[in-house]
Amino acid sequence: MSFTSFYFLCFYACVLIIYYLIPAKLQWIFLLVSSAAYYLLSGNGILILYPVVACLVAYAGICVMGRTADVKKRRLALVGVVVLLIGCLFLLKYINFGINTVNGIAGLLGFGDIITGFHFMIPLGISFYTFSILGYVIDVYNQIAQPQKNFFKMALYGMYFPVILSGPIIRYREDGEQFFQPHPFEYKRVVFGMQRMLWGFFKTLVISERMNLVVNTVYDNYANYTGVYIWVATICYAFQLYTNFSGGMDIALGMSQTFGIKLPENFETPFFAKTISEYWRRWHITLGVWMKEYVFYPLLRTHAFSELGKRCREKLGKKRGKQVTTFIAMFILWFTVGIWHGGDWKFVIGSGLLHWFYIVMGELLNPVYGRIMRKCHMNGDNGWVNGWRIVRTFLLVNIGFVFFRADSTIAACRMLAGAIHVGNIGMLFDGSLFSMGLDLIEFTIAIASLFILLTVSILQQKEDVRERIARKNIVVRWIIWYALLFYVILLGYYGPGYSAAEFIYQGF
Amino acid sequence: MTREAAYEKLNEVFRDVFDDEEIAVNDSTTSNDIADWDSLEHINLIAAVEQEFGMKFSMGQVVAMKNVGEMMDIILSQIS
Repeated sequence: MSFTSFYFLCFYACVLIIYYLIPAKLQWIFLLVSSAAYYLLSGNGILILYPVVACLVAYAGICVMGRTADVKKRRLALVGVVVLLIGCLFLLKYINFGINTVNGIAGLLGFGDIITGFHFMIPLGISFYTFSILGYVIDVYNQIAQPQKNFFKMALYGMYFPVILSGPIIRYREDGEQFFQPHPFEYKRVVFGMQRMLWGFFKTLVISERMNLVVNTVYDNYANYTGVYIWVATICYAFQLYTNFSGGMDIALGMSQTFGIKLPENFETPFFAKTISEYWRRWHITLGVWMKEYVFYPLLRTHAFSELGKRCREKLGKKRGKQVTTFIAMFILWFTVGIWHGGDWKFVIGSGLLHWFYIVMGELLNPVYGRIMRKCHMNGDNGWVNGWRIVRTFLLVNIGFVFFRADSTIAACRMLAGAIHVGNIGMLFDGSLFSMGLDLIEFTIAIASLFILLTVSILQQKEDVRERIARKNIVVRWIIWYALLFYVILLGYYGPGYSAAEFIYQGF
Repeated sequence: MTREAAYEKLNEVFRDVFDDEEIAVNDSTTSNDIADWDSLEHINLIAAVEQEFGMKFSMGQVVAMKNVGEMMDIILSQIS
């Protein structure tokens, strides 16, 4: 049940009304029941057993940790939970990745498929709920989060319906307790939440769905397109993915705000980033924070990495030795980030190792870049230089998006090779642009909508736009919000006759 | 060891890790105050502090400390 479907809006309206009609101390129980109902209505009902069992496993683990100070027992409980949760994730999502890779290598050596793949039904949101739950268990082990004694509260944390399908990845120690507190009705909070949901619908239904038409035209028939067509489709995909994912986050965070539950932000205008590292601090923020805390830090603090660091510093000197150790740890980190998105090399490359390569090259070339800047007497904080950095970062990210969206790694490589030929740049001016799925009017609507998005994104950096609008007089306020509402109703792609694409990150 | 004496040693560690002789940290210093203090340098800093003071931070402490003051509290609680 997609957030943008009519049935979901009916479901949400019922939940919200009942939520504020029942006694406040029962609200969390009602949210748990609603979350279970949402999961059951969103796909194959039997698959709800997966998140329920994951919560049970985690609950058993934190119960053990809560009852004993014995380090060995606590560690055993942690290892048990990690093995079971990651094992389940690996089995359902990645076993075929391993099998396909082995079969691919065997094929290159002249053998046929030597292992047969498995076909499992994958529960919705497995990567999101697994990480949220796992992070909590590790925090309890590290004694920075309190063990939850009530299984049903644990289940609400693990299965909270606004976040279970596509995040954000939540952290119990920061977000957990508010789920169980009473939230009396507060007009401003509910209205602000709904306004944010409306903004999410605008991004998803008006922009993302339009971009989708251009992207599908080229990516589904990539052999027929070269040069600028691929550039245009890929840039459209960047905006499609951003508006789809961040729009989904606006709906999730706004919806949660109407319940009085504040969730962590997942985006901060990522396409304004000046470097790849900064981009990842602005795009899918909660995944980045999770990976840093639960993969990267622990990895660097292992005995093996400490020893490696010492040897590298001895042989290569302090600075270079530190860099080499970090780059190796970062390789593992980015491989993990890539594979989190899906068991396919196109994800491992497009969302992982390619970005690792960018960051490593950025670190290595930084001194050269600094020397060039000094020779040219250019100020690093010059507006033009920063503008160039933003464009450069956006283009580099787009190369990753080609892998992310293409059918396979081979298809992505062919498209990138095809994109080099730019003899057809005239297509931007001779009307061919309007043969890519959007006619002149639709294209104009898409550009105008992107301009609105850009303006709001710039304003949002200075102050919450909803607060700014709330200070205007009632006529201006109503004109703005009703204009947006009718913009979405009139220009959005939705309804019974149209099958809106699902949230892309829902598949992860 | 007094807090002042510990800060003298800690400042040396910061200067060494971040290659900046001008650095002087205090209780309220955070990663926002030092240009290169990102997640990579944080771990390098932790390792250097552990080596200098002969103590060990738990993983929970590593991710939960919000400023240098909290880091100093942990150091003093372990070496005293």
